[in-house]
Amino acid sequence: MSTIVLTPIPVFTAWAGAPRMAAIGYPLGLPFGMPGDPAWQMSILRATLQALVDIDRPGGTVHLPFEWPAELAEVDTEPPEPPPIVGALIRRPWQFRRLLAGDIPE
Amino acid sequence: MEKEVDSYRYVSRLTGRIIRSWTKDGPPADFPWTPLEKPLAECTVALISSAGIALHTDQPFDQEGERQNPWWGDPSYRRIPQDTTEKEVGIYHLHVNPRYALQDLNCMMPLQRLQELAEQGEIGRAAPTHYSMMGYILRPETLLQETAPAMIADLQSEDVDVVVLVPV
Repeated sequence: MSTIVLTPIPVFTAWAGAPRMAAIGYPLGLPFGMPGDPAWQMSILRATLQALVDIDRPGGTVHLPFEWPAELAEVDTEPPEPPPIVGALIRRPWQFRRLLAGDIPE
Repeated sequence: MEKEVDSYRYVSRLTGRIIRSWTKDGPPADFPWTPLEKPLAECTVALISSAGIALHTDQPFDQEGERQNPWWGDPSYRRIPQDTTEKEVGIYHLHVNPRYALQDLNCMMPLQRLQELAEQGEIGRAAPTHYSMMGYILRPETLLQETAPAMIADLQSEDVDVVVLVPV
């Protein structure tokens, strides 16, 4: 199977070893734009599949030419409650160093 | 010349520090590679989302487990049939805002758009089944050793040629 990752964080996806990447400069959680806009969604899906066709070397990246609309700059992408790791790090801030080092507790 | 996407534009300062630390050695020397062997118009295409999408009829991803142990994330996966709509799913991911995908699943997992590409002949067909896992997994052992092989077996059983992975 041939694969491609549509990623807003290409530096991280490349580090993970993805064979092909379509990078998109969109807020996290909205990879195909806003709800209710089929043409927007289709343009990104189509561009991602075209990138899969075009990339001809392992680790290749196409930076998609989509800009997040300025009028949607304040879109709320925050989860309804803070992720549990945030509270854990506030309670035990010294563990942030472990997280940075990739030293994850069992 | 294409403009490069800024990986740090939409992440918090804290997340940015973590990404910089983890990726400081750069990408691996070798990437896995499976060439595309035939035109897209002949390919079966599947989607994999890390949004923690599960059918209402299926087991939700374990959010309570993560609340109890914030260093843990549910490493399982769910099957999502091709004709699924937002009315039939929940989003079980404590790190994303689920409201948009619950209005229109296609903004995270564009199943209807994939079907339209098939109807227009741009791809061979949409796979009968797509997949979701929950992307916050700091220790990936179970994901790599159990979940990924099981998903791959499912994909192969439906003769999938192309997979579009969509992290959120």
